[in-house]
Amino acid sequence: MASRALAVWQNRQVVNLLVRRELKVKYQKSILGYAWSLLDPLAQAAIYFFVFGVLFNARVAPGGEDAPGGYALFLLSGILPWMWMSTALNDASRALITHAKLITTMKVPREIFPLAVVQTKFIEYLLTWPVLLLFVIVLGGQTGWTLLWLPVAIAVQFVFTLGITLFLASLNVLLRDVQRIVRILNRVLFYSSPIIYPMFQVMESERIPGWFKTLYEMNPLVGIFQMHHAVWFPTEQPTQFILWSTVAGALIMFVIGYLTFRRLETAVLKEL
Amino acid sequence: MAEPVIEAKGLGVKFAMNRRRRLSLREMFIHGSKRDPNKGGDFWPLRNVSFEVAKGDCVGIVGKNGTGKSTLLKLIAGVLIPDEGEVTVRGKIAPLLELRAGFSDDLTGRENVNLVGSLHGMTPKMLEEKFQEIVDFAELRSGYIDMPVRHYSSGMKVRLGFALISQLQHPIMLVDEVLAVGDKAFRRKCYDTIEKMLENDRTMVLVSHNEGDLKRFCNRGLYIKDGSLVADTDITSALAAYNADTQAEIEARKKKSGGDGKAA
Repeated sequence: MASRALAVWQNRQVVNLLVRRELKVKYQKSILGYAWSLLDPLAQAAIYFFVFGVLFNARVAPGGEDAPGGYALFLLSGILPWMWMSTALNDASRALITHAKLITTMKVPREIFPLAVVQTKFIEYLLTWPVLLLFVIVLGGQTGWTLLWLPVAIAVQFVFTLGITLFLASLNVLLRDVQRIVRILNRVLFYSSPIIYPMFQVMESERIPGWFKTLYEMNPLVGIFQMHHAVWFPTEQPTQFILWSTVAGALIMFVIGYLTFRRLETAVLKEL
Repeated sequence: MAEPVIEAKGLGVKFAMNRRRRLSLREMFIHGSKRDPNKGGDFWPLRNVSFEVAKGDCVGIVGKNGTGKSTLLKLIAGVLIPDEGEVTVRGKIAPLLELRAGFSDDLTGRENVNLVGSLHGMTPKMLEEKFQEIVDFAELRSGYIDMPVRHYSSGMKVRLGFALISQLQHPIMLVDEVLAVGDKAFRRKCYDTIEKMLENDRTMVLVSHNEGDLKRFCNRGLYIKDGSLVADTDITSALAAYNADTQAEIEARKKKSGGDGKAA
């Protein structure tokens, strides 16, 4: 595994190239370009704000209505990183297939293609930060030491997303159903993580049995998004249990993804 | 003797017979293992192939269509992983497989050259220096280099691929049927390039159906028949063995159709 990691590192220039090309193609082909990667999450955030914040009049921002930033900031700080994950999952299943020609003519560490997908989406996520900051200023969001949660959240999310991407990319070459499953998976993951609702609503609900709450806490995405929220809402800082189960979950996902990828490699190469 | 540059030991690859292109989950779960769509058994396009290639050799691989010549090249290139045996390659490889250098259709010629070039370890500076040379060698009409490769003719793709690959300073070159596509003028240029490369003590493995090309460059020949290596000699004998088998086959077919004719 160490030698493979080294090979990937030696090809980092190629990964950068793939990423840059992907972004270039995306932004060149459409008129709005960069604006598209903002419009999508903003539209989503607006919809959820309208439905939950206005229609249901839910006092859902953690720390009550008067929390700096309010529900709008809460939504955005969850949806923007979510877009990173969900778009990466969407592209994951095609990561190897789109580069089939390259892969079947040249010996490169095949891992770089899933890696490039995750990295591309990560950069798109970084590009949404100016907008988030704009909202922070307008809505009066506050942060402090909790800003330190951000790099942790990003690191864990990167490892987790890369794990899933490796897994899906290799599996999809052999089983094209994966592409469809991903769409459902995407939606399930979205609602099973505290992205548009604060976590305490699950934890304090009396209609949800205790074992389910524990299971819920163990979902690595819960920790990841709690950390993203915690940057602006200190009450959302994950507990020790959530933090470690998230880190462990991300690492396990990565190992599973990587092993699957290696295991299927022989078959994948024949199939491409 | 120095260590061989390419060393293949008992190489074998298997494909599942009757493998449907896309196995779907439904088939996997619902039919279970009883009605496995892949039950056709295994098929070995290549098995028990062992050989060594020394530095500076030019090896020609001959054989009928579908006997595993291209598969063998892919194994050497490392884009297929063998199910049996192993192949050791000492040195970097410049591959030109299945008439292409790994260009993707959506990108322009320029982007492809940059991408594939850097995948092969060319630095941006090297690429910049060599770029014009590559384009000139490929004889692309002006403007084509900034068009998606999708719009290229097959000849143009091959020319650009060959132009790029031949710029690589890698010690081993794998070439699959490329010379068959270019027009006469381009072929001459390829010949010159290949000769120059061979003079520089580079190693080459060539798959071709063109006896002239093979005899011209190769000092060794591998004859592959039905997935196994039947001859590993000089190119003339390998070609002779191949031709003898082809001749025998044609005669057998003639006899068979003749026999059918009488019976009818």
